[in-house]
Amino acid sequence: MSSGLNLLIGISMGLNLLALGSSRLPSLIRVAAAQGVVLGLMPLLMEHHFSWLVALTAVTTAVVKGVVIPTLLRHAMRAANIDRDLDPLIGFIPSLLLGAAGTIAAVALVRVVPLLPEHRGLLLVPGSVAAILTGFILLIARSKAISQVCGYLILDNGVYLFGLLLIHAMPLLVEAGILLDLTVAVFVIGIIVDRIQRAFDSLDTRKLTALHE
Amino acid sequence: MTDGPILFVAAAALLLGCLLGPRFPRLWIALTLAGAAAFIAASAHILGGGEPWEWRGGFSVGGEQLHLRLDGLSALFLALLGVVGGAGAVYSRSYWSDAQYPRSAPRGRALWSALVVSMGGVLLASNGLHFLLAWEAFVLAAYFLIILDPDSAGARPAGWLYLAASHAGTLCLFGFFCGIASRTGSWDLGPMRDNAGLAPLFWLGLVGFGLKAGLFPLHVWLPSGHASAPSHVSAILSGVMINMGVYGLVRFTGWLPVPHEAGWVLIFGGAVSALAGMAFAVSQTDLKRLLAYCTVENVGIIGVGLGAALLGSEQGGTSWGGLALAGALLHVWSHGLSKALLFFGAGSVVHATGTRDMSRLGGLWKRMPKTAALFAFGSVAISGLPPLGGFVSEWMIYLGLLGAASSRSPAAWAAIPAAILLGISGALALAAFVKACSAVFLGASRGGTSDHAHESPDLMIGPMAALAALGAVIGLAPAPLWPSIARAAGAWRGPVGPMPWAVLALGLCNLVLAGLALVAAALLGRRVRDGGLKRAPTWSCGYAEPTARMQYTVGSFSGIISGWFSWALRPQGWSQRPRGLFPARAHRFERIPETVLEDAVAPAALGVLQLSTLVRRLQHGRLRFYILYIVAGLAGLGILTAMEARP
Repeated sequence: MSSGLNLLIGISMGLNLLALGSSRLPSLIRVAAAQGVVLGLMPLLMEHHFSWLVALTAVTTAVVKGVVIPTLLRHAMRAANIDRDLDPLIGFIPSLLLGAAGTIAAVALVRVVPLLPEHRGLLLVPGSVAAILTGFILLIARSKAISQVCGYLILDNGVYLFGLLLIHAMPLLVEAGILLDLTVAVFVIGIIVDRIQRAFDSLDTRKLTALHE
Repeated sequence: MTDGPILFVAAAALLLGCLLGPRFPRLWIALTLAGAAAFIAASAHILGGGEPWEWRGGFSVGGEQLHLRLDGLSALFLALLGVVGGAGAVYSRSYWSDAQYPRSAPRGRALWSALVVSMGGVLLASNGLHFLLAWEAFVLAAYFLIILDPDSAGARPAGWLYLAASHAGTLCLFGFFCGIASRTGSWDLGPMRDNAGLAPLFWLGLVGFGLKAGLFPLHVWLPSGHASAPSHVSAILSGVMINMGVYGLVRFTGWLPVPHEAGWVLIFGGAVSALAGMAFAVSQTDLKRLLAYCTVENVGIIGVGLGAALLGSEQGGTSWGGLALAGALLHVWSHGLSKALLFFGAGSVVHATGTRDMSRLGGLWKRMPKTAALFAFGSVAISGLPPLGGFVSEWMIYLGLLGAASSRSPAAWAAIPAAILLGISGALALAAFVKACSAVFLGASRGGTSDHAHESPDLMIGPMAALAALGAVIGLAPAPLWPSIARAAGAWRGPVGPMPWAVLALGLCNLVLAGLALVAAALLGRRVRDGGLKRAPTWSCGYAEPTARMQYTVGSFSGIISGWFSWALRPQGWSQRPRGLFPARAHRFERIPETVLEDAVAPAALGVLQLSTLVRRLQHGRLRFYILYIVAGLAGLGILTAMEARP
């Protein structure tokens, strides 16, 4: 059971690095979506016996993160008609190195964090920290609004992964609520992206500094 | 148990005055006087021997049970608040009339009531939280009163400075009361001198209350605040509000333990404050600024008394310590009364001439004889000359210091220099008030400002006369007042000794002196009326065509004394000397800067401003850097948590 889970987390860590290394917007969206699907399937593996509620959440998460949100993002991308190339502030190789270092640090970190005995053998915490770090690196190092949304999605995946630790304590309703928030947020950002594009002729967030204060 | 209802009536009257004052000026005067009278009545009951009043409300305000207390100490200050609050209300009726200030006068009435009732709240509160609430309320009310006429020159900057200084002080008081609450587990206040852990909080209280009291060098807000406010506001600021700081110091040195150095710091701080305040006062050319600096001096004198009392208490309750404290408390009264009187007098001068610049005044005695007489009376009282109140209270402080000096204890090393410094500052005070009186009221009018001056209406003279009469009572009858003062001082750290015979003797001497002065005045008056003395224009001095410009100027009057203190005052000036046989132009310009404000506080504030401008660069609008800050913050927190968990 735990080996299957660890395998999925390992895949998600690999997807983190893939996200950091991808140089085009569509592939970045695809990676974020794939990670969402992988994480969405996890509750199914964690539960010892099958329950409809858990299955429903897993499927909903996978569908929303894997299909709905990427569709929204692609739609925004097309509507705004933006350049597909990412121009990174921190190059792809340095980003990858940072991400790898972050992942290693996350695995080392797990020794410090006090965990319940049943979570000891799992990679949940390092996987979550690695995803959060990756999200942050994407947010900081990529300048296009949509790529930042992808960073945000990966960051949220990390938070979700951490939340799985509490799957018995946290009502699934809360998970569902977070998912809904996320979807709405992406939806709204999609609209905003369009508006920004029309108003400023660019989606480069570096040029949006005049609005501070 | 009559104090509770009386105080309730006072609060109700004042709050009602706050609400109705803007619309009904006459009703407001009645309500304010009723509130003031109720304050005085309750205090008189306590000071006259009644049991201290304590009351715990059945309900809570701000999550804390209401707890009020009126003992001898707070009653002493509450009665002064009643006297000055009532007198100022009557005075403002003519001074700041609706006809002259249709926009600000109604607002001023409501704020006045708010100020009086919130200061009463400070004096009654026996809970740290409520103390802070009332404190903040009166600080704000006073701010809005200072900028009552925001268009007048200097009012806004003075208000800002006052507000900034007050909030710096309030910040210290927040630390002070939170410290008490966290160490005792309750916001309730009361005697807790056996809890030795509270002693270091004294320093916070000293800064917080010292800023409000205007102890040098924390006085930076005081001169401009007092000078720019309307005069009835200056009177209550100087006569009562700064005494809230004094009250805080006296109250909490009495209730809380203090570090060993506290008495030394207070006695030296007070002496320095007295000397520096008066050195600045002497060289001012603005009448109200002079009075404001004189306030700094008097707070210093009170600080010396309190410091001596602390030293006495350290050595196990000596009689000289009690005497010094009684003198300090009496000085609160004599200073409060005479300073309010002087500010009312200055207000009358401003009302009549439109300026408070002494170098443009002069010769007002002939046009405003009553104001002049009352101002001179106040000057005598505040300079500590017999037979008036200031002399008695300062004499009691001197007696305490002399007692300490002859006690062969370490306290003598503090008392002797303090007594010398007080003596010097007393002499300077005399010089300052001779200068003020002579420049404003004697001589001939400078610059024509006095030509159209008129005597103030009775509503302005009346309150001044009442204050003067009260001040005279303190001077002439200290012995009957002693039991009340002793009761107030007894509420500090336990009973003080019996009345020293010197107080009785002093009262008798003062009576004789006052009698002699009255007889002399009567004889002189008769001679003048009978035509024995010839009236002539002032400053004729044998010149064929005397002019007012031949008089001593205000600056020259104090030039020598200012010269002694030029190392501290740092006077600025430039002059264009007359040249040639027929000099065309000659100029002399002089200015005494606010040394502490301009050379210490302003550069420090500028440094803080530059630092915050640097910090502001962190906010540049680039989103990804903000995210980086978050990552850095999270990482820092993580490292901190890991390090906490490690050992």
